[in-house]
Amino acid sequence: MENAIVDLYLNNPQVKQQWRDFLTSLDITNFNDNEVDKIDFTIGIYDGDHLVATGSAAGNVLKYIGVCNKGVTPGARFNAIVGELVNRLFQQHVFHQFVFTKLKYSESFQHIGFSELTHSDTAAFLENGSPDVNDYLADLPRVAEQASRRVAGIVMNANPFTLGHRYLVDQAAKENDVVYVFVVNTDASLFTTAERFDLVKAGVADLTNVIVVDGGEYMVSYATFPAYFLPTPDQTVRYQTTLDARIFRNVIAPALHIQTRYVGSEPVSRTTGIYNEVLQAELPPVVGVKVVDRNTTAHDDYITATAVRRLIRDDDLEQVQALVPASTYDFIVAHKTVLQARIQKGMNIDGN
Amino acid sequence: MEIKETAVAGTLESSDIQIMVSEGTNGIAIDLQSDVEKQFGDQIRSVITETLNKLGVTDAKVKAVDKGALDCVVKARTIAAAQRATDTTDQPAWEVL
Repeated sequence: MENAIVDLYLNNPQVKQQWRDFLTSLDITNFNDNEVDKIDFTIGIYDGDHLVATGSAAGNVLKYIGVCNKGVTPGARFNAIVGELVNRLFQQHVFHQFVFTKLKYSESFQHIGFSELTHSDTAAFLENGSPDVNDYLADLPRVAEQASRRVAGIVMNANPFTLGHRYLVDQAAKENDVVYVFVVNTDASLFTTAERFDLVKAGVADLTNVIVVDGGEYMVSYATFPAYFLPTPDQTVRYQTTLDARIFRNVIAPALHIQTRYVGSEPVSRTTGIYNEVLQAELPPVVGVKVVDRNTTAHDDYITATAVRRLIRDDDLEQVQALVPASTYDFIVAHKTVLQARIQKGMNIDGN
Repeated sequence: MEIKETAVAGTLESSDIQIMVSEGTNGIAIDLQSDVEKQFGDQIRSVITETLNKLGVTDAKVKAVDKGALDCVVKARTIAAAQRATDTTDQPAWEVL
């Protein structure tokens, strides 16, 4: 049958080479192991021996979509490939999908039901299915007359919640009527998403104007900002953070009337450093950015969650006590063996 | 009937329509994407709403991506999606057709 869709098995070196050559001819050239290893399945269309269309899925993100339209109705193969990817994900009960693509292809995706969340000069970020960003925003708690209040937002991974995070939230809570703390949802850190979320909640429980919410898939998630979790070249970090910042500026902030985004100054992590730079370039004047200098310990050391994780690894809980609030400390003491077991199993603790 | 889970029916092929039905609280809310929205948008929406109502579904969110489907196709895809979403595919609702 013409245009039959077949599975491509990339663990076959010949298939993989052909797939790479085809995508390279279409100017898709990033075949980092980081990206390729994440692929769950790949499909393609052959014309004789020639691969003429392909697409892949990694989790709920569509990737490596390339189509050659030579000699066929433009769009037919594209619709077939994307339609099949989406249908297969539906069958796995993945009803919500994302795609990053070049800006010029955004329209093609919109034509088959995707909606654009945001775009930069070169790239676009779209979602499909349900629940979408409007459902996410509709579910967030709000206060009375929020439109006329001073509202701030903070996004944190809090792996785990430290006195540094607390200091940042304190500053924002003092200067605003309402503070949203968005906890990164992606489960790729030493502390699980549920643990991080609970520790943030416990750590700010006494602040009545702070609302702790799930950052969902729209703030620093595997979908929007994979570089936060994986070693990545600077340029890619810039490109991903630009989209992340624009979603915050164009979609999240207006819905919640957020006027200011608070971030901690970043002396250590390169990725977070670039992220802060990009936020400062992208958010104003729509959303102000306030960089709060890091809190330091009595000995002038910066408080970082990385330091806390290393101390857990080194079984030096006494020193942890000076870096985290009591709620976090109690949790670490109670779960020390579990945490250390995770580190031993290979959980990276030196990233974010 | 109550929507228990999100479900989909249909494809993105020409002359078909893909319909996704998920839980809703505010009547039948339809998000339709179609090249012939201007000409047939209202008609497609009313077929979807009517079909769901006949099945006893009064609250649902519907996302529809139309590729030029005829009414009978819209109806069939809506029934299939709704029956999947309500977990009633073992009792085909013939009378709705």
